[in-house]
Amino acid sequence: MAGRWQWFHRLGSPKWFYEKTTRWLPWLIGVMALLLAVGIVWALLFLPPDYQQGHTSRILVVHVAVAGASLSFFPLMAVAGTVTLVWRIKLADMVAKNAAPLGAWFTFLTLATGSIWGSVSWGTWWEWTDSRLVSMLFQFFLLLGVISLRTAIESAETAARACALLSIVGCINVVIIKYSVAWWNTLHQPPSPISMEVGSPNGPEFWVATAIMIVGVYLFLAVSLILATRNEILERENKAQWVRELALRSR
Amino acid sequence: MIRASVGAAFRATLKRDLLISVKRRNDILNPFMFFIIVVTLFPIGISPESAMLRQLAAGVVWISVLLASMLAMDSLYRSDYEDGSLEQLLLSSQPLYLLVFAKNIAHWLVSGLPVILVSPLLAYMLSLPADGYLTLVASLLLGTPVVGMLGSIAVALTVGLGSRGLILAVITVPMSVPVLIFGTLAVQNSLAGGSPLGYLALLGAMLAAAVSLAPVATAAALRITLN
Amino acid sequence: MLTGIQFDSLSEFFAMGGYAFNVWSVYALFAIFLVANLALPLRRRKLILRGQKRRLTVRGADAERAGKHGDKAGWEVSLAAEGAGEEQ
Repeated sequence: MAGRWQWFHRLGSPKWFYEKTTRWLPWLIGVMALLLAVGIVWALLFLPPDYQQGHTSRILVVHVAVAGASLSFFPLMAVAGTVTLVWRIKLADMVAKNAAPLGAWFTFLTLATGSIWGSVSWGTWWEWTDSRLVSMLFQFFLLLGVISLRTAIESAETAARACALLSIVGCINVVIIKYSVAWWNTLHQPPSPISMEVGSPNGPEFWVATAIMIVGVYLFLAVSLILATRNEILERENKAQWVRELALRSR
Repeated sequence: MIRASVGAAFRATLKRDLLISVKRRNDILNPFMFFIIVVTLFPIGISPESAMLRQLAAGVVWISVLLASMLAMDSLYRSDYEDGSLEQLLLSSQPLYLLVFAKNIAHWLVSGLPVILVSPLLAYMLSLPADGYLTLVASLLLGTPVVGMLGSIAVALTVGLGSRGLILAVITVPMSVPVLIFGTLAVQNSLAGGSPLGYLALLGAMLAAAVSLAPVATAAALRITLN
Repeated sequence: MLTGIQFDSLSEFFAMGGYAFNVWSVYALFAIFLVANLALPLRRRKLILRGQKRRLTVRGADAERAGKHGDKAGWEVSLAAEGAGEEQ
């Protein structure tokens, strides 16, 4: 029993995580910077203007990538929450705690870029008939709920477990909200199918740029979450010998 | 110690909560009065014309019910927490799921049901067409327990916190959105001459899911916050 | 697939076919978002480590001034004293 689960608990050791990410981070940051740079330059300079939307299609590359990444926060927090509740692994909660505010930033950016795009495409900054933006707004509220629950409960242990439970309930709810809002609004534009044909509205020159940006933004999500989690480790483990030695070696 | 049957414990919890509510009349009356007052604000704030109001009526009643149930939620588990009987509940040998469920039913009977009973009167004041009454009441009967049980999770997570009003609202409002959507769609559909049964069936499915899952989550939340 | 740069002049690039405000505000928000979410954790890390170091060295210096520990440096004393009984 102990042997079989050893790898799992080592994975959950903050020290192990810190040391591993020290080695991974330069690579992650390098690949992320490269992909984001290629994606941004491609989207800004090389993407042909859309026959209907003109140069505003350059907005969509960013919007789609950020929106895709924002959808991963509740599943991520629900998985981390399950690990917190079932195995009481501290690291999972350190990740979940920092995922909530980061997710709120991602969701906010999705809403902001969506409405800036919409101000051209729909002629208005907010459109209730776009069910994806509306359900994004409710995801934003739910994330704020998780964040305020975390700050309201004083005991860190209780806050961790309460937020874990709320994340699991919230994750189920986000799915229900998404489908019911879409049902409520059957007028909404269905996701456009991608096309392999150069020159078509959703042709490769659009989706390849978007795919590069999506991978870049996901890596950015990972990097910023890792950085925040490392800070959390340094703060919570400040009595551990290795953290003290690290602090004394720092400039 | 005599081990009481599960059914007896369920009935005892239900009866105890109902008796306590009768003694604390304000906890019942406040949300009820709040509901009536909020509904009367809409004609004054938007338009007194019945042509306008009849389109808004279902939504206005539903939103006011949701707001009133937010207000009612504050009293859920509070006195139990203060006098320590909530901790006794956790120590009980009976399944916590059933005890929580009994408490949810009692809370709905005293805070949800009166609001539903008075809703046709308010719908009449908002000139809801006659086709809509039955659907409105049916949708409220199916939908408000779902909202109450979802709210119960949020209350259990914040039990014992001083200022939790905003947290309760921020957590519960987004979760109540699907109920609001299908509740109002059902009424609008029956006003348009269609059958509301599809939407009511969806609300029923949500109720079934809430009955089976929400008390589990509430019980887990109580174990976390009262540990 | 890569069909070449879509703009003939720099001013055309900045104008974005009349949607300059929309396109550039999205990219500005995106840039701020990227930089802020990397710079803020890095800055916080520096502050955490600095605070931790200050606490340890001040305590260590106190111990050194008390003169009980001969040739050991102050921080070594503080580490030895406080690290005792730790599991890691």
